[in-house]
Amino acid sequence: MNDAQTLAVEVVGIEQVTPLIKHFKLAAVGGGSLPAFSGGSHIIVVMQGGDRVHKNPYSLLSAPQQLDRYEIGVRRMEESRGGSHYMHDAVTVGSRLEIAHPVNLFGLDKIARKHLLIAGGIGITPFLAQLEDLHGGAVPYELHYSVRSPEHAAFLERLRTREGDRLHMYYDSEAQSIPFDALLAAQPLGTHVYVCGPAGMIKHVIGTAQSYGWPDSHIHWEQFSAPPVGDAFEVFLARSNLNVRVPPDQSLLESIEAAGVEVPYLCRGGVCGFCQTKVLELDGELQHNDHFLSDAEKAKGKSIMPCVSRARCQRLVLDL
Amino acid sequence: MLVTGIKSKPVYAPLQADLRGRYHLMLAMGVGAAPLLRVIAEMQDCAPQALKDTQVLFVPDSATAAADTPGIDEFRAAAVGGAQAYPTTAALLSEFKEVLASSLMGTRLYVAGPESFIGLAMKIALEFNLNKDEIRAEECGTLARRVYCIHCRATAENVRTNIVRCLSCERWLLVRDHYSRRLAAYMGVMVDAEAPGELPPLKEVFL
Repeated sequence: MNDAQTLAVEVVGIEQVTPLIKHFKLAAVGGGSLPAFSGGSHIIVVMQGGDRVHKNPYSLLSAPQQLDRYEIGVRRMEESRGGSHYMHDAVTVGSRLEIAHPVNLFGLDKIARKHLLIAGGIGITPFLAQLEDLHGGAVPYELHYSVRSPEHAAFLERLRTREGDRLHMYYDSEAQSIPFDALLAAQPLGTHVYVCGPAGMIKHVIGTAQSYGWPDSHIHWEQFSAPPVGDAFEVFLARSNLNVRVPPDQSLLESIEAAGVEVPYLCRGGVCGFCQTKVLELDGELQHNDHFLSDAEKAKGKSIMPCVSRARCQRLVLDL
Repeated sequence: MLVTGIKSKPVYAPLQADLRGRYHLMLAMGVGAAPLLRVIAEMQDCAPQALKDTQVLFVPDSATAAADTPGIDEFRAAAVGGAQAYPTTAALLSEFKEVLASSLMGTRLYVAGPESFIGLAMKIALEFNLNKDEIRAEECGTLARRVYCIHCRATAENVRTNIVRCLSCERWLLVRDHYSRRLAAYMGVMVDAEAPGELPPLKEVFL
């Protein structure tokens, strides 16, 4: 997805739903329908903040049937590189933003016999849209939603009203935690588990499910990593014949884009694999931060996901 | 004339125990007992605790049964959690459905026998949303096919020839490699539609 394919939207509503989460409503500039999407999709929001362009992925939380506006939830990150702070501090009703078309990397399995949804904190957002698809259908499902404390439970009223006893809430503040073992040990054949939340929770769910014999095809997760900061380094783009400097707080992908070279991407969060780039030369080590390459591929060092990964080296040559 | 290289033709591999699974459900028909007993022996060697969570459903194949072929007695002797023989494939498959309905995530399915038997088991497994990474199948025994008439939707069993006459609509069908997992059958397509009456020689090819 490149910038030529972005849509211009206007912020038509903002609500602070928890101390850390703002709920944004976006409508097409000039009105009309936005492109159709399915539950679990995300958009990339392009933010022109000062001297820096931020492009962050956010899950769509609105109903897929309702296309006059898109809704997203943005959590203010403590260690923000600027994107979430920009959304929280600089964006107001009437602000205009560019977004990329929705892409779904976290879709529901269409022939599952049961869906087990597990959300931690802001990880609730993709499920809100998925629940719209599941609600009233014949396939059983349950949602297990864990938050720090009641005041951090975003969208709880909407969930309570619509989901009733299919919703299971857990509050850290009351020492409640999702009973992962009990849940994953006894699900009927044909169940799919979906998890979105903090990295530790995702890892725990995947590991626990596997320990109870779940095959990978029934385990679904989504976590958009923000590009971590690191040491500055230089990269040479072989096909473009360009040297690009990557500063500590900018991702490799952002630096390459700033130099005028386009790299295809879908998620900018280390998930989709779209920006995978061939490493031609390297005299140091790659710092892989993605969830796409296998450990073996990471060890080989022949590919890098420039959206979230960096290098510690004197010289890195990419096939771009 | 038999079109080959069609991707939907199922590919099988020798069975191996998948010890990442917690429960092991095994189905065999006739000579399919041998590959399952091989998997059970593998478990006895490297993961004997898995045997108690192993259940075998077996149907003898009267066409191939000989005194020295292994059967239900060998499964019982192997001390698996359960081993049951059924008089017919239909009876076995009906029990298989019951078992799947009460099975939990973490179950691995192993099927061994003729392809038509594997296909019928897979069709049911598909209804329970078992994916490729939960199913293993090894083909042994007859290559006779189930053939679906794409014209009248009747299915012929035990087809051994390159062309076959549909028992329902009486068209002569070419048996293709094009396989439907949903129907558990190969597609049969009218062979003399272009030139009525011109049939290729009838040959036994699926033995």
